[in-house]
Amino acid sequence: MANKIITDALKNGRTVLTEVESKQLVAEAGIPVIKTKLAKSKAEAIEVSKKLGFPVAMKIVSPDIIHKSDIGGVKLNLANATQVGRAYAEIMAAAKKANKKADIQGVSVQKMAKPGVEVIMGMSKDAQFGPVLMFGLGGVFVEVLKDVAFRIVPLVKRDASQMIREIKGYPLLEGYRGQEPANIAALEDLLLKLSAFVDKTPQIKEMDLNPIFAYKNGAVAVDARVILESQA
Amino acid sequence: MNKSAESTTKKLDRVFNPRSVAVVGDKQALGYMWLRSLSSFKGKVYSVQIDPQELPGIAELGVQNYLSLMDIPGPVDYVIAAVPRAVAPRIVKDCIQKEVGGVCFFTSGFAETNTEEGIRLQDEITNLARQADLLIIGPNCVGVYNPKIGLRHNPIQVYGNGGSVAFIAQSGTHATLFTLAGARHGIKFSKSVSYGNAAILDSTDYLDYLRTDEDTKIIGMYIEAVKDGRRFFRCVRDVAVRKPVLIWKGGESEEGARATASHTGALAQSNIIWQTLIRQCSAIRIENLDEMIDTVKALLYIKPARGDRIGLIAMSGGQSVAITDAFAKAGLKIPLLSQSSYDRLASFFDIIGGSYRNPFDISSSFLMSENALSNLDNMFDVMEQDPNIDCIVLELFTIISPFSQDLGKPDPLLDTISGFKNRSKKPFMTIVSAAHRETLALEVRDRLMAKGIPSFPGFERGAKTLKRLVDYYRFRQGQYLN
Repeated sequence: MANKIITDALKNGRTVLTEVESKQLVAEAGIPVIKTKLAKSKAEAIEVSKKLGFPVAMKIVSPDIIHKSDIGGVKLNLANATQVGRAYAEIMAAAKKANKKADIQGVSVQKMAKPGVEVIMGMSKDAQFGPVLMFGLGGVFVEVLKDVAFRIVPLVKRDASQMIREIKGYPLLEGYRGQEPANIAALEDLLLKLSAFVDKTPQIKEMDLNPIFAYKNGAVAVDARVILESQA
Repeated sequence: MNKSAESTTKKLDRVFNPRSVAVVGDKQALGYMWLRSLSSFKGKVYSVQIDPQELPGIAELGVQNYLSLMDIPGPVDYVIAAVPRAVAPRIVKDCIQKEVGGVCFFTSGFAETNTEEGIRLQDEITNLARQADLLIIGPNCVGVYNPKIGLRHNPIQVYGNGGSVAFIAQSGTHATLFTLAGARHGIKFSKSVSYGNAAILDSTDYLDYLRTDEDTKIIGMYIEAVKDGRRFFRCVRDVAVRKPVLIWKGGESEEGARATASHTGALAQSNIIWQTLIRQCSAIRIENLDEMIDTVKALLYIKPARGDRIGLIAMSGGQSVAITDAFAKAGLKIPLLSQSSYDRLASFFDIIGGSYRNPFDISSSFLMSENALSNLDNMFDVMEQDPNIDCIVLELFTIISPFSQDLGKPDPLLDTISGFKNRSKKPFMTIVSAAHRETLALEVRDRLMAKGIPSFPGFERGAKTLKRLVDYYRFRQGQYLN
């Protein structure tokens, strides 16, 4: 399955996988992901939303648009069919405005995830040491403060547990100011699964699981982005 | 271990422990540096030199000269080549034919110059050596140091007693500086090697060799680049659980951001991944030569630290404040002692102008006081027995010498400190800063070192070293660091 997604994308000259494809790969790594469906029309978006249950989130699906929210390609908390329909039209307009030639496959529809502590996990390849994993708190913590920790693949259990505790924001995961604590063991488990997956899938060049919502009893990847090595 | 690594280890053993060494191309212009360095060598030394003008100088050193490696009657284990670079390929061919153990090229002017000719010549000697399975150390390096057998690369390096510290350095200067400085700091070497351009052997090969070297208990490394990063990572991870590995990565300044499409890629800069590797492998990150010296000394002479709570003894109020600041800033704790310790201190502490919370301020008049030594001994014991204290630090300042200037006689203060160091089960270090005379501070440090008492030149260096040690032992036990 993972191989088919990868081969198909490369056959079509794409190295950037869509959200739906990325999530299929991540799910195959054994990492829980928010169920996400592709809808190719307004009617389909509404139908899928009803099936998944409101509220939903909708995002543009296009291999040519990487930074979806920057161009207005993400709509959250859509509570009913009317809102879904309107959001669909807005997303399409925004996408066309951003890139006239973009290949637009539709929108991804997913049930809004229950909010948790936002964390990011990712992989990139170091020129000397090969694949490395990153862990950090999501949003401003990663983007502005760069409060992240790395480990070289393959990780052992100790690596996973130490890298989570290495970040400055670690107390936030323990339940800061009455917030529900994150399940650290579940996060360690995700890192180890990611390490194993990356280790046996050398075609992947980079990936972000951002955000992952961490809860008291588990964690789930809400968005995923996978970039493949271009074929030499 | 695969077969080729096994045979490399075997061959390196011959290079690090040669019974015969040949120097090719030593000359007056170098001050016969190589042959003079080998005056201490326990095995056979040969010279190979074809320039008749150099021959009298070589004869004067009592070294037998030959016109070719091939003319040397017996086997040659290790060759040092200081020849013009254009001659290097011929020397490699001779080494192959002579079946030597390995050759170190002091010669430079190869790939490091980034010139076409330099790169071509390095490729040529590399290919020749690879085909014949010959070990090349370097080029552009000073090669091997093994003091136990008097194998040196500098005539002022010490020899005779080997030690337990090995050093692997890409730079010849760093290899020379660290091994020379080591002698002053009680650091004795099992082996060291500088490996320059790493044409055949890279740092990983030497590290892998030292992994099983029984004389080597601590390994320091100075690295500018590695060739096979994955292999290096696996090797460090494997070795660092057996022996402390200290890594000083040269050229750490940040590289430009790479083009990347993910957050992870944008943040994973090369210097950060090097730091990650060092940490992940439980190696010790070193940033300069002073830190290398301090940390190796600490590993040799300070007992494994079990915690980060430090008991401080300083010689004045001002120094008590300064030493506390330095150790706290380094991330260590300076806790209060237990009540029973304070009760005990109250029973004997009679130093006017002193105080005893933590730090103990023993006041500058301390040395003149009647009960100075018994007071100090009691203070040491209070720190030793207090459950709130993991490590003990004593400051000695050098406005005047704390020790008697009659070097022939034992000094009672030095004996008191030494007696405590020997009976203490806790990590213990001294700080000796210079006031107006560096030479006086040096003499005090030397006299401490002669008793196996490590001293550090300044609060900051001492504090950072102790913190590095505390972190090392904790991290190795799988604890978490922030």
